Amino acid sequence: MMRKLANDLVRNKAIYFMVLPVVLYYFIFKYLPMYGSIIAFKDFSIAKGVWGSPWVGLDNFKDFFDSIYFWRVLRNTLLLSFYQLLFGFPAPIILAILLNEIRLKLFKNVVQTVVYLPHFVSLIVICGLILDFTNREGIISTMIEFFGGERTTLLGDAANFRFIYVFSSIWQELGWSSIIFLAALSGINPELYEAARVDGAGRFRQMWSITLPGLIPIIMILLILRIGGLMDIGFEKIILLYNPNTYETADIISSFVYRKGLAEGQDYSFTSAVGLFQAGINFVLLISANWFSRRVSGNRLW
Amino acid sequence: MKKSIFTRIALLLAIVLMFGGIATACSSGKSEQPANNAATGNGAKENAGKGDKSAEPVKLKLWHPLNPNAQAVVQSLSDVAMVKEWEKKTNVKFDFEHPTGTGADAQQQFGVMVASNVLPDLIVWNMSNFQGGPAKLFQDGTIIKLNDLIDQHAPNLKKILEEYPLIAKQIKADNGDIYVFPNLKVGDHGKYKTFSGQMIRKDWLDELGLQLPETIDEWEIVLKTIKEKKGVIPYTSEKDMLLGSKSSMDFIGAYGIGKDFYLNGDKIQYGPLQPAFKDYLARMQKWYKEGLIDPDYASNDNKAKEAKITSGKAAATFGYIGGSMGAWLPSLQQADPKAMLSAAQYPVMNKGDEPKFTETGWDYSNTGAVITSANKNPEATIKALDYLFSEEGAMLKNFGIDGTTYTLVDGQPKFTDLIMKNPDGLPIGQAMAKNFIANYPFPGPDDDRYNDQYYSLDAQKEAVKAYAKFAKNSASVLIPPVSLTPEEASEFSKIMTDVDTYRSEIVTKLIMGTSSLDSFDKAIEQFKKMGIERAIEIQQAAFDRFNKR
Repeated sequence: MMRKLANDLVRNKAIYFMVLPVVLYYFIFKYLPMYGSIIAFKDFSIAKGVWGSPWVGLDNFKDFFDSIYFWRVLRNTLLLSFYQLLFGFPAPIILAILLNEIRLKLFKNVVQTVVYLPHFVSLIVICGLILDFTNREGIISTMIEFFGGERTTLLGDAANFRFIYVFSSIWQELGWSSIIFLAALSGINPELYEAARVDGAGRFRQMWSITLPGLIPIIMILLILRIGGLMDIGFEKIILLYNPNTYETADIISSFVYRKGLAEGQDYSFTSAVGLFQAGINFVLLISANWFSRRVSGNRLW
Repeated sequence: MKKSIFTRIALLLAIVLMFGGIATACSSGKSEQPANNAATGNGAKENAGKGDKSAEPVKLKLWHPLNPNAQAVVQSLSDVAMVKEWEKKTNVKFDFEHPTGTGADAQQQFGVMVASNVLPDLIVWNMSNFQGGPAKLFQDGTIIKLNDLIDQHAPNLKKILEEYPLIAKQIKADNGDIYVFPNLKVGDHGKYKTFSGQMIRKDWLDELGLQLPETIDEWEIVLKTIKEKKGVIPYTSEKDMLLGSKSSMDFIGAYGIGKDFYLNGDKIQYGPLQPAFKDYLARMQKWYKEGLIDPDYASNDNKAKEAKITSGKAAATFGYIGGSMGAWLPSLQQADPKAMLSAAQYPVMNKGDEPKFTETGWDYSNTGAVITSANKNPEATIKALDYLFSEEGAMLKNFGIDGTTYTLVDGQPKFTDLIMKNPDGLPIGQAMAKNFIANYPFPGPDDDRYNDQYYSLDAQKEAVKAYAKFAKNSASVLIPPVSLTPEEASEFSKIMTDVDTYRSEIVTKLIMGTSSLDSFDKAIEQFKKMGIERAIEIQQAAFDRFNKR
């Protein structure tokens, strides 16, 4: 085994050299920082450093699990994430398929540019827009009133938070995420379509029998990746949109940790512990999603 | 073995990538700022200094997050005229290091700096940014103790500390050590300690024949009348100053309780645990229901709240004399020349009572300079800092250069047009920050006479006096700057993060009427479960230690 490897190293020096930067990159930026994760099991103080701080075992994890907000933030994190997956994942696929059907080049380009735009606008600005649109005088409230509803501040009500959050995320990322699917579509052999037409398949039949199956591998791979990131929702958008009235549905693990670790407490150990907890759950989800996909569709990451 | 060209290129690429990667890895996290090589008139030394003329100036590295007023106009404090003069007078040369970004960013950079043990000579900041305070920094060996240095080399500060034992108490640690060279409001020109409070549309009050409200009932009548006659939002607030939360800036004081921890005699108490807090909530719930409070108060951000005031959609709110009144009034008067804002006192329960719970600060603003263990010239450093407490230095710090930024009229400093009507069109606050350090905390004394001119509108001049009127009452309820031990601090913040979250939620629901008043009893139980009593104990212990200083 070792001999084989040594031989291979000598024989394919150049290829190994080419992969070296990548390996180094991962080692330096992804693996070395893991050393810092041990502060999750310590009572970390900057002055004492990572190594000098005293060990406290699982105390930081206990603190998190014992917090009266643990179940709420966990539930909110998973629900928001799940809704984003449920509604946000199919949207760009549908958009890509629809765009693919457009024959008019100019129109297609205009549509693409318009739906890409929100992705390039800074999150702060986006949230400012959302707040403006949904407040009592905002455009959405005006529409609601026009249809006979009542003017309210939509983000003042916990019941609306998830919808607004998920919907605005779709609006932000719809265009951008459709690019990869468009790329996959351009890789489908046009002869297949021709053959289908000869066999008398209409537009929808072609979509169903050729376009969609052509997309399945990339869909599955992205889906697995998405499931593996189910626990990490960034806190930025949340803390820009929530207020104590909506904590009930809006407060998630990362915003809770932000308040505890950065805004008030500066409790780095606690935040690392929660980070590890999230990573653990993500890891389990990723493995099971991959296993499941392999069993069901044969597509897999590894 | 012949290498193909492709292999060579790949090799080259690999090497470049590798080193490139490592190089970027090393350079991140260091916020290197271009050295400021503005010539600071080193050659021209006038004969007016205290330092030894023949000696080279002592070089001192000073770490200090720059105030936004100054950020807008200078790269670094070295460009401020007053600092150049200060350096000349005291024969030092500061090399300023200003971290970039927000408070949290600065905190991280500070953490990295301490961890790497590459320390500047002195640090100027608000001490609340250090968890465990300066006492912890001293324990960790980051900073040094200043008692002897002040005793021997800081005659001006020493005099103040002897004259005002309460100030000495504020800047000392529990064991009597002094770690901070403070920013103080002291003496005849340090009376203003309140710069914010309730503000209300005076022109509407006059129009409706109403007086400025004093009691909570009068407030209610005023707000009701405004609602009925004017059809605007009577009282507005914002989510960062949530009604009934620890950062609330409203009517809790009328019920004789503080919004957070406060003093009752020499006992520390927690506002929400008092029975009166429920009365306050009941009143707020009623007001909200009757539309006296902005229905969106909990989701307004600061911008939304300000827009409501400046567009005449709301009549009263909490604000700052400089930043709020000074900005709102001009824009209000553009639309309606008659518009007028007036400072209203915090409400009391019975006619004739004096408000106690006002937004008043202590003599020591909690900002100051700490000297690190890396400092090789602590003596020269202390002398330079103490100069700011001398008569000459205090004038220099607060008013800048005589004849350039101010002139003496009847013995009182008056700012010149360079400040009041800046030729480059800078707002007053920025013109000040460009020339001297008066409108943000910095070691040395603050001087009210700068405020008198900074507040250029009559309404502001009246407001600062109105807010100062009852400021002394707050001394009986305001917890002094006590210090928690690092262990206490971490336990305390663990308890309070949860309590504060829970409190702001429950109180908001109550005021908005989505839950009933009785549910607050359950909330109190929950506070107790979270350890609020332990938090009170911690505060009490710290306060008792403070009293023994």
